[in-house]
Amino acid sequence: MYGWIWRHLPGNAWVRALLSLVLVFAVVYVLFQYVFPWAEPLLPFNDVTVDGQ
Amino acid sequence: MAATTDNDEEQTEERSEEQAEKPAPSRTPRPRGRGPIATAVSVFGELLITAGLVLGLFVVYSLWWTNVVADREANKQGDRVRDRWAGGPGELNTKDGIGFLHVPAMGGGEILVTKGTGAKELNHGVAGYYQDPIKSALPQDKEGNFTLAAHRDGHGAKFHKIDKIKKGDAIVFESRDKWYVYKVYSTLPETSKYNVNVLDPVPKESGAKKPGRYITLTTCTPVYTSNYRYVVWGELERIEKVDNKRTPPAELD
Repeated sequence: MYGWIWRHLPGNAWVRALLSLVLVFAVVYVLFQYVFPWAEPLLPFNDVTVDGQ
Repeated sequence: MAATTDNDEEQTEERSEEQAEKPAPSRTPRPRGRGPIATAVSVFGELLITAGLVLGLFVVYSLWWTNVVADREANKQGDRVRDRWAGGPGELNTKDGIGFLHVPAMGGGEILVTKGTGAKELNHGVAGYYQDPIKSALPQDKEGNFTLAAHRDGHGAKFHKIDKIKKGDAIVFESRDKWYVYKVYSTLPETSKYNVNVLDPVPKESGAKKPGRYITLTTCTPVYTSNYRYVVWGELERIEKVDNKRTPPAELD
């Protein structure tokens, strides 16, 4: 999978490394901005109130 | 467990290589000599590694990033409240917050108090006063229980050190013109999340018997999970007027 991505990136090794870094940051951004905030309330780690339900 | 998985993968890989070598010697060899099974196994392995990294990132997100975001939001809201207070008398706007909580036992820093204990409110790095299941009283009310909740971890983690609060410690609530000084008289380190009685106007479980002016802090316990609730009760000791320098009461020095 990662090998496949590496082989399909253009340019020499340096350009590929740079592009990989950009891709990693993009993935982390999407996770932090959209995926984790969506997933968090579904997980039982952060309920702090008492309630009857 | 990891070792077993590695062995399995190696074995599968070896087997697949043998299978790939045996039949059809006339066909052109695959590039890099990897069969479809070996490829599938390697992709599966990479997916597992990826899943591990994502889970690790989720921990970073929960315990660090949400604090950054929440503190930023709480400071912004807190500044708005202070600004309005500085502008002299005005409507008590419960949307931005009604005041600040100071708990010396939990370390320095003020905690903005806003209405409501839903995730949306508490994720702003504030302490919320209950609307549901039992409506909280407000500090200025003649009697009742001022009930608050805040996060133990992440999203500001404002009640992270709730276990440092001991009997006799002070909890001070600062409103625009009053300091409400409460004294902790009881703690409950572990209770069920269904135990809504802790929010009663007269919280019997704390040992309170007659109506008075109480304060209740709730959060989750143990740290990093939400299995139980931690409760701290205090009773109003005295009220001080805020002077024009906003000199804090002796408890906060």
